[in-house]
Amino acid sequence: MELDCRGMRCPIPIIKLAEGIKAFKEVTLLSDDPATLPDLIAWARMTKNEFTVVGTNTYLVKRS
Amino acid sequence: MGSVTGTFQYFQSEAPLHPAARAALTEAFDRGWSDPTKPHFESRKAAILLNEAKETFAAHLGVRPDQIEFLSSPSSGFHLGIAGLALPGSTVYYPATARSEVFAVGDHLSGHKLGVDLAGQALWPRGLADDLLCWQSGNGETGVISKPPVDFIGRVFVDATASAGLLPLPSRWHGALWDSRSWQGPAGLGIFAISEKNLWRNPLPHIDQKITSPDFSLPLALASAIALDAFSAEYEVKRKSLIELNERIRDFLLTEIGQVDIAGSLSNTLPHLLSFSFLYIDAAILMSELDRRGFSVDSGSACNATNMEPSHVLAAMGLLTHGNIRLTLHPQMERTSVETFLATLKDLVVELRS
Repeated sequence: MELDCRGMRCPIPIIKLAEGIKAFKEVTLLSDDPATLPDLIAWARMTKNEFTVVGTNTYLVKRS
Repeated sequence: MGSVTGTFQYFQSEAPLHPAARAALTEAFDRGWSDPTKPHFESRKAAILLNEAKETFAAHLGVRPDQIEFLSSPSSGFHLGIAGLALPGSTVYYPATARSEVFAVGDHLSGHKLGVDLAGQALWPRGLADDLLCWQSGNGETGVISKPPVDFIGRVFVDATASAGLLPLPSRWHGALWDSRSWQGPAGLGIFAISEKNLWRNPLPHIDQKITSPDFSLPLALASAIALDAFSAEYEVKRKSLIELNERIRDFLLTEIGQVDIAGSLSNTLPHLLSFSFLYIDAAILMSELDRRGFSVDSGSACNATNMEPSHVLAAMGLLTHGNIRLTLHPQMERTSVETFLATLKDLVVELRS
């Protein structure tokens, strides 16, 4: 599933991601908000999910 | 829930001027108006008052009176302290949690940023004898107390602007900076200490390269010394209850609200500072809702920053940057205010998350 959150400010991308990852095992998140990368690091640690940076403003998030 | 008036509900970093300093301010302006460097009778009186104030600062801050200089702008002390101690061509180390003023000066010199762990601690380098380390005794956002740079062999500039004079200097230091506001003293006064005058040179165009600036308000320095004295005594009395309040808040956040990222642990932070972030919460909305209910707090979230960038301190530590709230528990804080605040906070977070 691809989630295009470009142009959205924090915490919207992370809120949408949390909804998305409930329904899909993998979500590709597109976000250009400067808070997204630090927040993904913290979110992954807190919710025990995983993610990798796959490109500019593009993150692959996996439910674990 | 309406706002509770009359009780102390300021959780933001700055507090009203300490009542002891306020009471002394008029007298300080009456007695300390004359230039202490001149030979007149009033000037000699002012010079005595200045020396007394320096002795008070020295006793609380762990320095000698002759090492103290005053600055009319605390933040200018970052430039004076760092650029004034850095030797040409040497490396200036600073943690990723340092204040942005440090980054700004570091960018102009051979700056080297050091990463920090989840607890906010950097691995201090050994460095070279000519290198400079900008060491922060306590972090103003998270309250994290830094481990002393015991292995570093170069010069050490101490940012003590958030320490409120509560944290000791490391055993080796060369320059140190405090902000009068951190102990509820008047704004517009920095206290800058240089361990040995010959190590430091004024990086600004100057008349006398040995001194920082002759322009500071003596009355403010006198009032600030009184504030520091009163604040330290009060803090000592309230330390145990501040620790209990901090513990209570941490426990409430984790058990009653949940999905919260708290910075540092109580054992490695200043008990009157606390930073935490709620998942899926917009801090700007939370802050304004709290404000409407009479509670003022700070936030390191991007939505509250003028540049829309999240707090570099939270990001460096790997902590959640959205939904961030920062509390300062001033010694005047009552437990009942904290309990009302927590109940309000819980209601709001639950409401905003649904």
